[in-house]
This record gives sequence, structure tokens and C-alpha cells, in this order.
Amino acid sequence: MQRFKKKNIFKASIAFASKLSLLVMMAGTAVLSIPAATPQAKEDVIKLRVCNWEEYIDLGDWDEEELIELDNGTSIIGENAMYDDFEEWYYETYGQRVEVEYSCFGTNEDLYNQLTLGDAYDIVCPSDYMLMKLIAEDKVQPFSEEFFDTNDENNYYINGVSPYIKDVFDNFLINDEPWSKYAACYMWGITGVLYNPEYVTEEEAATWAIFDNPKFHRQVTLKDNVRDTYFAMLGYLKADKLLSEEFMNDANYHDRLFDEMNDVTPETINEVEEVLQKTMGNVYALETDSGKADMVTGKIVANYQWSGDAVYAMDLADEDGVELNFAVPVECSNLWFDGWIMLKDGINGDLEKQHAAEAFVNFLSRPDNVVRNMYYIGYTSAIAGGDDTTVFDYLNWCYADEDDEDNIDYPVGYFFSGDNSDEDYIVCADASQIGRQLTSQYPDKETIDRTAIMGYYNEEETKNINQMWINVRCFNIKNVPAWAWIVIGAVLLAVVSWVVIRTRLYGGKK
Amino acid sequence: MKGLKFTRKQLCIPYLLFLLCFVALPLLVVIYYAFTNGDGQFTIKNFINFFTSPNTLGTLFYSFSIAIATTIVCLLLAYPIAYILARSKMKQKMVLVFMFVLPMWINFTLRITALKEILTLIEGNLAYYPFLNSIIGMTYDFLPFMILPMYTTLLKLDNSLLEAASDLGANSVQVFLKITLPLSVPGIISGVVMVFLPSMTNYVVLDMLYNSTYIMGSFIGSYFSAYDWHNGSMISLVLLAIIAIITLMTSKYTDENESRGGSLL
Repeated sequence: MQRFKKKNIFKASIAFASKLSLLVMMAGTAVLSIPAATPQAKEDVIKLRVCNWEEYIDLGDWDEEELIELDNGTSIIGENAMYDDFEEWYYETYGQRVEVEYSCFGTNEDLYNQLTLGDAYDIVCPSDYMLMKLIAEDKVQPFSEEFFDTNDENNYYINGVSPYIKDVFDNFLINDEPWSKYAACYMWGITGVLYNPEYVTEEEAATWAIFDNPKFHRQVTLKDNVRDTYFAMLGYLKADKLLSEEFMNDANYHDRLFDEMNDVTPETINEVEEVLQKTMGNVYALETDSGKADMVTGKIVANYQWSGDAVYAMDLADEDGVELNFAVPVECSNLWFDGWIMLKDGINGDLEKQHAAEAFVNFLSRPDNVVRNMYYIGYTSAIAGGDDTTVFDYLNWCYADEDDEDNIDYPVGYFFSGDNSDEDYIVCADASQIGRQLTSQYPDKETIDRTAIMGYYNEEETKNINQMWINVRCFNIKNVPAWAWIVIGAVLLAVVSWVVIRTRLYGGKK
Repeated sequence: MKGLKFTRKQLCIPYLLFLLCFVALPLLVVIYYAFTNGDGQFTIKNFINFFTSPNTLGTLFYSFSIAIATTIVCLLLAYPIAYILARSKMKQKMVLVFMFVLPMWINFTLRITALKEILTLIEGNLAYYPFLNSIIGMTYDFLPFMILPMYTTLLKLDNSLLEAASDLGANSVQVFLKITLPLSVPGIISGVVMVFLPSMTNYVVLDMLYNSTYIMGSFIGSYFSAYDWHNGSMISLVLLAIIAIITLMTSKYTDENESRGGSLL
């Protein structure tokens, strides 16, 4: 569930150790240097090495009463882990055994470090900016043409991916090539503010300025993550510009919004640092995972949150009888993706392996599996289902309200068919769902229109942003008050003179 | 069975290998990274960075402040406890000692989570006292490490010395200051080392108690997650040097005191 785990020294040291073992191995192979030892007999089993976020796939083992029965007659329950089911499905469909070696990573940076230090995976699932970085560094194997063949009914991804997501992936270019050639979207969402309506109004929550609002002094949290916090502070800093009529009505609104929210010039970074320093004096803490529980226990009243985690927190709070809502700032919001990419180093030109990797993506995109994953992890899948109504029926299963009181029609056509006025894709939900789970999981068109993707930055820009973060997080030596220096000086003097006197007194005896 | 005999040297080989793989080689890698830049060329820029960056020095200062404060609080709390435990003639005192050690068997993140709730109850809002909370958390975590060495030293204290001092006319305060305290210095030193060094880098306590200021541990981590192995390694290396100096100083001091303790006889 946690998309960004705390950066972990232990993991860093493991990465170090693995680099070390690589060195040792390299030395070993150099000494032994067995030239292309015995051309190996063709392996019967394809080994597929998958690396994914923790808790980001259905691991099965549901209770029987968790069975999901949808209107279109499909019944869904997760018995085994998704990747075990994949092994079986692949054998049944293609007559070839495949063995999935499934492992997890904690942060995008950890994954990147693991890859650069020599860990080999065939298919991984980083976030938008990290997959952009990997594509730009030419580490990613493009999908084969067969993967995009809409006539093959086993190609669940291309036949089922939401037109909205497909559009984004087709239009976003890295090295003049669209993302969609390299990456298959898995989950997506936006960022916003999770808040407790008992203390915070929707208006107060729906702005990035809430983190610096003195009314909630020490009762709001930001993310312990430089990119997310930078985005929020940028939104706060540029609020006037982003909300101006001229800007919002500009024909190039989207391009301009993208540019503004990816502004990493040194001047802007300096301004963000100032704003962040000030805001840090108002926030409760920086958190990655504890914010959800702190919202429920009432330690804080508002919390910067990813939409998927917001859904999870609201579910958790509902069980405890606390109501939490999710608001998307009026200035703009961050649209994020996690996508599957195949790594050149791992696939290494092995066509059979590539086929298995692509089939893995397709298997995850099969509508019933999409529902299993969404139910299990709480995030929103990029798959709409195409002609298959399973995913939309699941949405109805979650939110549709039978009785007629206070119901509203909530169109989600932009996601399912590409046309928001499409009458086939309207959820008739209770009005209380607005600002809660439904709108967090599938934001309305209007909200989606004011989102921006955060790109990846070059080395220099990354360095500057990280330096800004370090400046904010570190205690500055210049802040040590004069009296403290005097005390330190006095103590040092006392210790030195004591040592000197003692050696004078006892020195002779030794 | 003849073939199974090993010489002393042969028996050392596994340990030697262990030291080589887990101490010497990693250290060499750290040194390599610390003195190179991104292109793999030798540089001392990282070293200069350490001593010129206000962030590094500030973090060092902050870590030291936390470590010193934690050590002092632990010392003040632990010494009386250790003294009472060691000197009491209670039959069940092992039970008491046991109770102080018991929390160490519970996972420490669990204990800190509980502490977080208790502190929230008392303070209302944790965010107002980040430094104080960190000290409380660290003290809670490290107190047993301070009590145990002092308890062991005080337990070994020869009663006849105290009796002799009283016989020669010292009152109880003098006995304590001139006999008990000097003789327990080795215990105090090892307790201080065991508390001071980890509390300089144990950033998990700070994280969990919502102190967002970096200390040495999290500071190094921040460089690693930004792919800057070089500055991160240099900071680790300097920290290692500082720790080595402290350990060397204290070990010398402990020996000296033990010999001095002997000369008291």
C-alpha cells in the first residue's frame, strides 16, 4: 500500500554489498574465465524475474464471503497469488512452463540503485518519472508488435486499456518516441488532501496553501519525499498564476501547466526552499505511511495523500466511525502512473522470455484480474476493459446506490470510453460519495483536466532539488545561538585544563 | 579421526574470511567511494565538502547534542538504579534486574509506537517538542544498555574496601565519592559508549516520533537515495573516524582507571 517507503540505510548497505559481491564475482570469472561453458540445453522452464512495489498485487487467500458477484454474471475471488495463477494460465494458453521469481522494492530510487548495481530483473513497475528516466537511458526493451495486435484476444492490455490512459501514454514523448512503446500502465492516480470535515472545510482543504494555514498549526502533514513535497510547494508558490483567468483559459493550458509544475530553474528552487522552510514551521511532520493512521486517531486534521492511499484511509476511518474526505487542490494536482517496463539487461534478446513478460502484463490486465488487484490493493487500474464490462460493473458494485434518495449521476465515460457524455458509463451513486472513495478512485473530468505529470529531471536539476531538500531537513550550524558556543567553549576548556592538571599531578608516578 | 585435526592457524581461516568479506572489503569500498567523484577520479572535494557545508556541520552538531543529552539523562537515571540494584540485600533482586532488561526483548519499533501514543496523551501535540521527544525516545530505547554494565561493575565492588574506608573515618558521602564512584568508572565508560554512539545515528526513533531534522544516519541515507554514493561514503567515513577516536580515548581511560583502581589498594 505504501508507494514510497522510508529511505532505508539497510537497503542502501545491501545495495553496497551486492555491488561488492559483483566485484568479487567479476574477479572470480576473470580468473576462471570459462569460455562460454557448454552451450546449455534449452531450458524447459522460462524464468521470469518480476520486481514490483510492496503490497501491489493480489496475493490471494481471500475469505469465502469476500466473493465479488458482478451484474454481468462474473464471480471473482482471489485464491492464489496472482503470479502463481499466471504460471498456470501461461501453461494452459501457450503450453510452455514459466516460473515467476517475484520480488519487491521500497522506493523508485532503491529500484534504480539495484538496477545500476547489477541486480537483473526482466520486468519491473516503477513510477512515471523513474520509467521515463530508464527509457531515456536506453535501458528499456520496447514491446513487440504482437503486444499491440488488437485481434489477439489474449492481448488484454491493448484491448482493455482506458482510452484516457492510452492517450496520455501515446502523447508523452521521451527521445521523440511515445511512452506507450515501452511502458504499460498498471495503476494510476492523483494527489490531493485527505482531511477531516469535522475541523476542515472543503474549501480550506482544496488548496495547496492548507499546509501553511495557521488555523491548522501543527495539524497537517506533508510527504517525506522531495518530489511530492516540491510539487505541493510549487502549487502553493504559483497559486496566483495558476488560478488567473488568463492562465486557465489559455488554449495551451495543459502544456503551460506542465511547464509550470515542472519548473526546476535554480531561482524557482530557491523560492520553493523559502516557502518550504516557512511551511515546515506549520506542519506536524513529514510522513510516508503513518499519516493515514494519524488521521484516523485524530492527531492531525489534514494530510497530503495519494488517491489510492486516501481510499484506503477512508475505508479504515469508516470502520472506526470517523469520516474523512479527499479534496483535490483547485490550483492543480499531480497525475501519476506506475507502469510495467521490460529491461534490456534482463530480457537480453530472449524472445521467449519477452513473450512471457508481455503475457504477464496481459494477464494482469484481464478484467477479472484487474478487479482482484483493485480490490486487494485499493489503487485504480489503468484498465477499462474494452468491450468487457467487468471493470465498470465492479465500480457499480462498489458505489451504485439502489434507493433513489439523494442520488447523483457521476459520469466516468472519459475513462471507460473516451467520451464523458457516454451514457453507458454513468455511476448512479449516493451524493455523499462525492469527495470520498468514488471521486478519489475515479476523479471527475474537471479534476483530471487540471492535473500535470511530473517529469524526470536531469542530473544537475536532480542535484539542485535534493540539495534544497537537504537544506530544509538539516539543522544549520549558523542557527546555533551564541550562548551555546560559549558553553561548548567553557566545557572544552574545563576538560582540557582538567586533563593537564591531572597529568601534572599523577604523571610522575607512572 | 586423525585427518580432522586442525592447527590453530587453520581454525582461524573462517574468521579471517569473515573479517575480510564483511569488514575489510566493505571498508575499502567505502574509502574508494569517499575519495572519488562520479567519473571515478580521485578527489578530496568530498572531504572538503564535509567540513565546509553548514548542513553537514549542523547535522553533526545536532547529532552530538542529541547523543550527549541522551547519554547524560541515561547516566543520571541509570546510576542510582544500578547502585540500588547492586547494593541491595534483597533476595529477589534478580527479578528487579530482569524487569529492567525485559523491555529489550520487545521489538523497539513497537515500544516507540507505544511511547508515541503516551507522549501524545501527555503533550497533546508531538510536533511542539521534537528535540525533547527524541531524547525521551532514545533514553527509553538505550537505558538498559547503560544500566547493565554499571550494575555488573558495582556488583563486583569489594565490600571490604568500603568497610576499610569507613573504619578509617570516612563518612558515607566520602566513601561514595572516593571509593565507589572511582571504582565504577569502567562501568560508566562502557555504558556511555554503548549509549552515545548508537544514539548519534539511530534516526528511526526520530522518524517515528516525527522529528524531521536529519541526524547522521538519515543524512547519509539522503545522499544514497539521491545516488550520491561519494559524499555519503565520505560522511560515513568521517563518522567512523570520530567513533574510532572516541572509542580509543575511552578504552585508554578505562585501562588507566583500572590500574589506578589497583593502585588504590
